Formats: sequence, C-alpha cells, structure tokens
Amino acid sequence: MYRYQSSKNSGATSWVLQRISGLALVVLMIGHYILMHYHPDSGHTYDAVLGRMQFSWYRIVDLVFVTLGMYHGLNGIWGIFRDYKLKSWLKLSILSTLVILGIAFIAWGYNIIFSIPYLKNLT
Amino acid sequence: MSEDLGKIKTFDQKEWIKENISYHKDSGSWAWIYHRITGIALIGYLFLHIYSLSTLTGGREVFEAKMKSFVSPMFMALEWILFIFVLFHSLNGIRIVLVDWADGARYQKSLYRISWIAGIILFLAMGYIMFSHEILKLFGK
Repeated sequence: MYRYQSSKNSGATSWVLQRISGLALVVLMIGHYILMHYHPDSGHTYDAVLGRMQFSWYRIVDLVFVTLGMYHGLNGIWGIFRDYKLKSWLKLSILSTLVILGIAFIAWGYNIIFSIPYLKNLT
Repeated sequence: MSEDLGKIKTFDQKEWIKENISYHKDSGSWAWIYHRITGIALIGYLFLHIYSLSTLTGGREVFEAKMKSFVSPMFMALEWILFIFVLFHSLNGIRIVLVDWADGARYQKSLYRISWIAGIILFLAMGYIMFSHEILKLFGK
C-alpha cells in the first residue's frame, strides 16, 4: 500500500493554481510591458501613474497583478525546495519565510496602490 | 548482506553535480533549467520592483527623483533584456500548460522550437515599442 509519505496533500491544488495564475500572468505581464514602455513617460512619470490610478478598474487589475505575481513566484520557489528531501523543520521554516515574505510584499504593494490619491477627492 | 551495504554508492554531492552537468540533455531539460533560472530572476525583480515603486507613497518629487535613474538608455536596455526572461518563462509556461492539459507531450519538441521563433519576434517587437521614441528623435521627428 503506497501513500504520499511526506505530506498529507499531494500538491494538486497548488499545481492547478500555478497553471491558472501563470496563464493570467502571461496576459497581464505582456500588457504591463507594453503599457509601461509605449512612451518613455508612461512608465516613469508621476502624472502618468496618477492618470491611470483614477480608474478604479485599473487599481483592481494592479491589485490582482501584484497578488498573482507574488503567489506564482513564491509558489514556484517553494516548488523548487519541494524537489529536495529536506528535514521537516527546515521545510517548515522555509515555507513560513516564503509565506511571510509574500504577505508582507503583497501588503506593501497594496499600500502603494492605495496611497495614490483620487484627484476628485483633492479639489 | 550487512557487509555489502558498505559498498553501496551513497550520495556524493561532487559526483552528483558532475553527472548532472555531463548528462546529455534534450530540449526539455534545457527548458526546465531555463524556466527555473528565469523564474528565480523574475520573482527577485518583483521584490525590487515593489521596493522601488514604494517611493510613490512619498508623492511626486520623491517618485520622480527615483525614476530618474530608470530612464537612462542603459537601464532601458536592461529592461529589454529582462523581457527575454519574461518571454521565455511565459512561452515555456504556455508549453507546460499544453503538455499538462492538451496532450502536448506529443508535440512538445516542435512547441519548443515554435516558442523560440515567437519569442525572438516578440522580443524585437518590444524593442521597437521601447525604443521607437528614441529612434524617431534621432531622425529629428
């Protein structure tokens, strides 16, 4: 009788989520690159950022983007560690470091997005 | 039996690395290696990216002072090179999804070649998007 010996779950859910988030990121990433570079100002001036951030849907896209990017990236790093036979205490500490890093940087990203004012609130 | 156990080859890190390097690799193994390298680079960049954009919370002056270093041709060239990483990871990622979900194991090698061709075309197209403004300026337009 064979069972997964290292952990209770097979990792199938995270595998599917990695595929789905990856596909979404392909679209978001290429769109992001074009949007930030079609003109030298579009990615590098405060006005351009401010202009885009007036649209709430754009803010939502950005929030989704940073969340998916962080999740996909850190889940990928975790996947690399999972390829090796590590002691369980080491596994747990690596996993918790990745989770904390992820939550911290996602929160940081959200904070940046929310810090940009809506112009209609200023006047 | 217990005497034989001593002769069984145990894990030797030096040998392991040597075997892995010299092992004959097909396109799939290279794709796997590149996928890891590009993936690690991209998550590293995302950390730096969030860090450098955090100047946005400080308002216009702080942000634009920081951005000054990012508009140099040198940095833009680096961003263009970063797009190679994005493209490889994206196209190979699509290939992995097709292998997993669309019977792609049957045509994964031609997918790999098509990815390279598509990648080179998209890389050049992005180069045009990124630098067209500068190129047109050179010709006085």
